[in-house]
Amino acid sequence: MIALIRAELYRMATIRSSWLLIGLFGVLAASFGMWNAYVWALFAGIGTLGIAAFTVAQHHQHRTAALLYLARPKRYPVLFAQVLTTVLVSWVFAAVTGLPARLKDGNGAVYRHTLWVIPVMAVFGAATAAIVRRASWLMYGFAVWFILVEGIIGRLEQPLPITMYIDASRGDAWGLEVFAVWAFVLLGMAALTLRRDFSAD
Amino acid sequence: MIETINLTKAYGNVSVVDGLSFTAQPGRVTGFLGLNGSGKTTTLRMLLGLTRPTAGEALINGQPYAALDRPLQQVGAVLEQGISHPGQSGRAHLTAHAFLAGAGRDRVEALLERVGLAADAHRRTGDYSLGMGQRLAVATALLGDPRVLILDEPANGLDPEGIAWLRQLLRDHAQAGGTVLISSHLLAELAQLIDDVVIIANGRVRSAVPLAELYGGAGGRLRVRGRDTVRLRKVFEEVGGQVAGDEQLLEVDGLTAEEAGEAAFAAGVPIYELTVHTPNLEQIFLDLAGA
Repeated sequence: MIALIRAELYRMATIRSSWLLIGLFGVLAASFGMWNAYVWALFAGIGTLGIAAFTVAQHHQHRTAALLYLARPKRYPVLFAQVLTTVLVSWVFAAVTGLPARLKDGNGAVYRHTLWVIPVMAVFGAATAAIVRRASWLMYGFAVWFILVEGIIGRLEQPLPITMYIDASRGDAWGLEVFAVWAFVLLGMAALTLRRDFSAD
Repeated sequence: MIETINLTKAYGNVSVVDGLSFTAQPGRVTGFLGLNGSGKTTTLRMLLGLTRPTAGEALINGQPYAALDRPLQQVGAVLEQGISHPGQSGRAHLTAHAFLAGAGRDRVEALLERVGLAADAHRRTGDYSLGMGQRLAVATALLGDPRVLILDEPANGLDPEGIAWLRQLLRDHAQAGGTVLISSHLLAELAQLIDDVVIIANGRVRSAVPLAELYGGAGGRLRVRGRDTVRLRKVFEEVGGQVAGDEQLLEVDGLTAEEAGEAAFAAGVPIYELTVHTPNLEQIFLDLAGA
């Protein structure tokens, strides 16, 4: 497991496009944090979703998942190492980019609540990517889901994942619990579908 | 050793691999031949645990791939066209996988040198040529210093020098006691490399024999020209030959050159040409695969 996490962290650090995107998005999130802590929390969540989803999906997009599965034919450790890696990176991403928001927000409640819910968002993103496996489907799928299903149809009031993330980042314990259920149900589905033939991707 | 026992893979009612049984022995290079869509890649993927068999077994050193302890130290695989993230340098790609293979950075540098990528190791793999990508794939397969190598079309994209390099590498590996299973459509190149051959068509084994036996089984056809081909035809048929051809040139199966020459001499018919036409691997392969 340690070797898997180490390899994944090394991989993220040595792919320039990955850390450039994380850096650029981080600057953007931090900038919004100087203006409004809630907007930072939303951007931190989107950034986390992107980090988690693309870390996992890119392995399938570029077929490097085959190399991972050759190294670790029992696939569960691979999935859990990816989840743990994205949780770690996302949490650091949020903790660093949220500093302006922390300073702006008097008691730092949004910052604290967001750091609690960010790991759940990382699990949600990584699990979804492990199920879908295609980066482009994820990108368009998330956009359509968030805007159409949760925004227009649900009016950000239904117990749906992104809505619950937003509520949780504002300190709503119910939102955190519901979002955690979403994330771990998806993680269970990812584990159940993990043994799909690689050639069928 | 690599072994498949009644290995089968079906998608719905369509069998891609159908009761495939063969072995690849240590110390030998085994060629795995088949036309496109014959089931080669699916078979290799089942051996490597990437695709689940519908029935049968795919074993490496007597175990399914998933049951191997430290698999990268037992099996090295080259799949598809040099798998890597295009934004990562060759060195970084190898280093990341060295963590998984239990290899150190010195092994990474040694392999970059060995596959001829040391000077280009800092470049993004997306900028590599096809041949460079294949060299990187071979280096990745060798990270754990495995005894078993499974290679799916590894010569794709390699220039003649690269093919000669790969041939030598695989021969050395087999001579050191390693097991090599290689699929390729570059049959002429394969003929210079392999000891044993497994030919499949429609997911079934058509032939699994030592290469020399395959050539022997196919036999050598004689080309014969002489003064009186009508008489020669009769003479050859009398001593057991099967004769085809026309008045200018006879094609004789079932006789050695010595037998044909002696028969013509005994009959007193001058021979102008007597050559043995040995079929090449490509012809034998196409005959078997197309049968």
